[in-house]
Amino acid sequence: MNKRSDQSIWLALTPLYSVILGLAASGLMMLLLKHNPIEAFAQLFGYAFRDIYNVADIFAKATPLILTGLAFGFAFRASLFNIGAQGQFYMGSIGAVVVALKLGFLPPVLLLPLCLIASVVMGAAWGAIVGMCKSRFNANEFLISMMSNYVAVAIMNFLVRVPLKEAKGEYPQTDVISEAAWIQSLIPGTRFHWGFILALAAALLAYVILWRTSLGFKIRAVGMNRSAARYAGIDEKKIFVIVFAISAGFAGLAGFMEVNGIQHMVVQGFNPTLGPEGIGIAILGNAHPLGIVLSGLLFGALKVGGNLLTQTTTIPSSIIGIMEGFVMLFVVLSYFVQNKVILAQRKRRLAKGEDVA
Amino acid sequence: MSNVKETAVELRGISKYFSGTVANDKIDLEVKRGEVLALLGENGAGKTTLMRILYGMYRADEGEILIDGKPVTINSPYDAMNLGIGMIHQHFTLVPVHTVVENVMLGLDGPYDPGAVAEEIRTLGRRYGLEVDPYATVRLLPVGMQQRVEILKALIRKACILIMDEPTAVLTPQETDRLFDFVREFRSGGNSVVFITHKLNEVMNIADRITVLRAGRTVGSIPKVEASESALARMMVGRDLELTTGQPAKNVGEVVLDVDNIGVISSRGHRVIDGLSFQIRQGEILGIAGVSGNGQEELAEVLCGLRNAEEGDIRVSGKSIVNCAPLAIIAEGVGYIPSDRQSEGLVLDMTVAENLMLKGSSDPEFTKGRFLDMAAIEENASRQVHEFDIKTPSVSTRTKALSGGNQQKVVVAREIAIASKLLVAVQPTRGLDLGATDYVHRVLLRERDKGKAVLLISTELSEIMNLSDRIGVIYRGSLLRVFTRENADIGEIGLLMTGIRGESNE
Ligand SMILES: Nc1ncnc2c1ncn2[C@@H]1O[C@H](COP(=O)(O)OP(=O)(O)O)[C@@H](O)[C@H]1O
Ligand SMILES: [Mg+2]
Repeated sequence: MNKRSDQSIWLALTPLYSVILGLAASGLMMLLLKHNPIEAFAQLFGYAFRDIYNVADIFAKATPLILTGLAFGFAFRASLFNIGAQGQFYMGSIGAVVVALKLGFLPPVLLLPLCLIASVVMGAAWGAIVGMCKSRFNANEFLISMMSNYVAVAIMNFLVRVPLKEAKGEYPQTDVISEAAWIQSLIPGTRFHWGFILALAAALLAYVILWRTSLGFKIRAVGMNRSAARYAGIDEKKIFVIVFAISAGFAGLAGFMEVNGIQHMVVQGFNPTLGPEGIGIAILGNAHPLGIVLSGLLFGALKVGGNLLTQTTTIPSSIIGIMEGFVMLFVVLSYFVQNKVILAQRKRRLAKGEDVA
Repeated sequence: MSNVKETAVELRGISKYFSGTVANDKIDLEVKRGEVLALLGENGAGKTTLMRILYGMYRADEGEILIDGKPVTINSPYDAMNLGIGMIHQHFTLVPVHTVVENVMLGLDGPYDPGAVAEEIRTLGRRYGLEVDPYATVRLLPVGMQQRVEILKALIRKACILIMDEPTAVLTPQETDRLFDFVREFRSGGNSVVFITHKLNEVMNIADRITVLRAGRTVGSIPKVEASESALARMMVGRDLELTTGQPAKNVGEVVLDVDNIGVISSRGHRVIDGLSFQIRQGEILGIAGVSGNGQEELAEVLCGLRNAEEGDIRVSGKSIVNCAPLAIIAEGVGYIPSDRQSEGLVLDMTVAENLMLKGSSDPEFTKGRFLDMAAIEENASRQVHEFDIKTPSVSTRTKALSGGNQQKVVVAREIAIASKLLVAVQPTRGLDLGATDYVHRVLLRERDKGKAVLLISTELSEIMNLSDRIGVIYRGSLLRVFTRENADIGEIGLLMTGIRGESNE
């Protein structure tokens, strides 16, 4: 009994091995580029945790990543693929920036909640369209949500070039929003803002919805066995729309975080990899809200350390992307290996005549 | 002198492990020339696995195979066929849109002339009583005919050791008799047959020798002449077992289910149910017999709200439920035990407690506002686990870790709680072992005696005959006739199942 739970602890740590292997593989890449990987990693983590400003930045970077991770992970629990987090994030950003620009005269207590709501509603509405295509026309949500990214980018490009273009009229970006709409720093002088707490709350919310509510029960039932859910009288078509709306709402909220917390404006094509990175984070976190928070922080650290590393050495900045890529690759591989290991263990125990629960 | 027959196949110490189960545990088995060996065992005993090893579909983890006394390695069905082994699977492996000839030619070595193959099909068909039209499209053939094609495929490859995996499961009684004729004819040519089954009467009818498997082990191997049904049953289950037969219904009350002339068109545009009518009263079991694919599935789906009827009406205690949503029908007190518990009845990755409330996620009994009432869910689960004697480590165990019988108990427990008026059971014992089967049967009878109406749809004629108070035969979407229990005649029902209307007047 004890031996078995020991083994399951080792198995539970597989995401960790994948991270280590991913980093090791990127180390090999650095060797090919004639850099000393050990030195580079020492520098990377040294930089990431060098001072309070950098540590705070890890949390700031992790905030939107956790949210796009939740966007993918939440839908994944219903066996739906939301590849549209990038576009939903842009729609959320538009919602937040429009409210902040047009209602800038309001005090922060009113303005900030309005921006937040606008971002969530815009993201959710954009995602709900994908859900509707799925339930109405039985469209493939993977493709539709992916395509919805391109449409969202086009809408944003139009907005920042024409109606929302900055007063100076120079660049495709909006004006800076009024300070009343800025999310306050938690630690003055750093970029660690209240948004991180909100992201944690969002993760908690995702957990509560999925495992404590009637809706979440239906979502998981649809996700794990659609046909049995149908027999149980669960209306999967309704679930598709609701799941996409909630999932996209998380991505939309990331827009509020970035616009009101970091950028204080919308710049054409900003943060172009939040959506795809969210997919990797959700997979690394096993589509569980807690796992997503942890892997979001890891990716945040890689970004902060990696940025500084490439600014202070001749290592090309694409190395961060390579590291992220390798980590995700090994995570996906690890699920495969994990299954093999479990099967092999069981076979061995069966052959020895032990019983297997 | 023919007492000492040569050994055709010998399996020695075969073991096969799947994740979680020992499917075969050091099994020894011998098949002689000119002999029909019945491989008898409950569902899950490991019969199919063992024969798939012999046929090269699985690789044994331990043990060896000898053909004609020589050790062989069989890595694929191709190897098996070259050694003269043929196998008729439980689920056919034909290409439905192709003709019989095309199917038979598939996988034959070398270029073949379709005309010559068709001629061979005809010759073999005449010789063994397996006539089929070589140019018929397989999809349009009845199941019994498709099975003939499978057999012909093996014969044309010169199989002299034929493995048949539960071949009678899809046949009517008459078709079964014809299959047995073939088996005897085939054996008389010095060939061997391994006949897999879990039905005792078939064993006594066709076998020369019987090998019984239980839980992956060989329990024994005896000549037919020394065997009796009760002795075999004991070997199979490991204890004495009295099979339940229902006493006739005593207190039949008001009409609960009234199916009134319904018609259903399938998504492909076929009329799958046509003018179907029947009634079931309180305290009564109506059994619907028929070869599978005659509208049973569609009827069940209409009854639980997953399919619309184009015509007619269905009333439960007078209230029309036709084309209502599943939840509305559940609310009317209609429980439903589906034929495929794993894909339709359960979410295997959810816990036992969650599955026991699967249909109640909007029910105030299990919710507090929008939230789940975890305490109520636990409490309900513990009670049901106790009441239905569901063997599970805990109510928070994932349902996929349970045995088939206990999984079915989860479904049965939940549906009986829902079925305050009517219980619809479709193949409720499919794939269950004898003990679990008997349990389900007793529960159905108990619910009937409590005054519920029960609709039992099954292709197992014995199940229908044992439990039903009235028996209807469904053929091409219509009920051909409804017998009372007293005048039910198995021969006539068998004929009706193939669409031949009997002569007797009632
Ligand atoms: N492909 C498989 N993977 C995992 N388990 C299997 C597989 N095939 C069979 N089993 C398990 O092995 C056991 C024996 O199954 P099987 O040989 O099909 O029994 P039988 O044909 O006697 O009903 C069962 O417990 C079954 O669940
Ligand atoms: Mg089998």
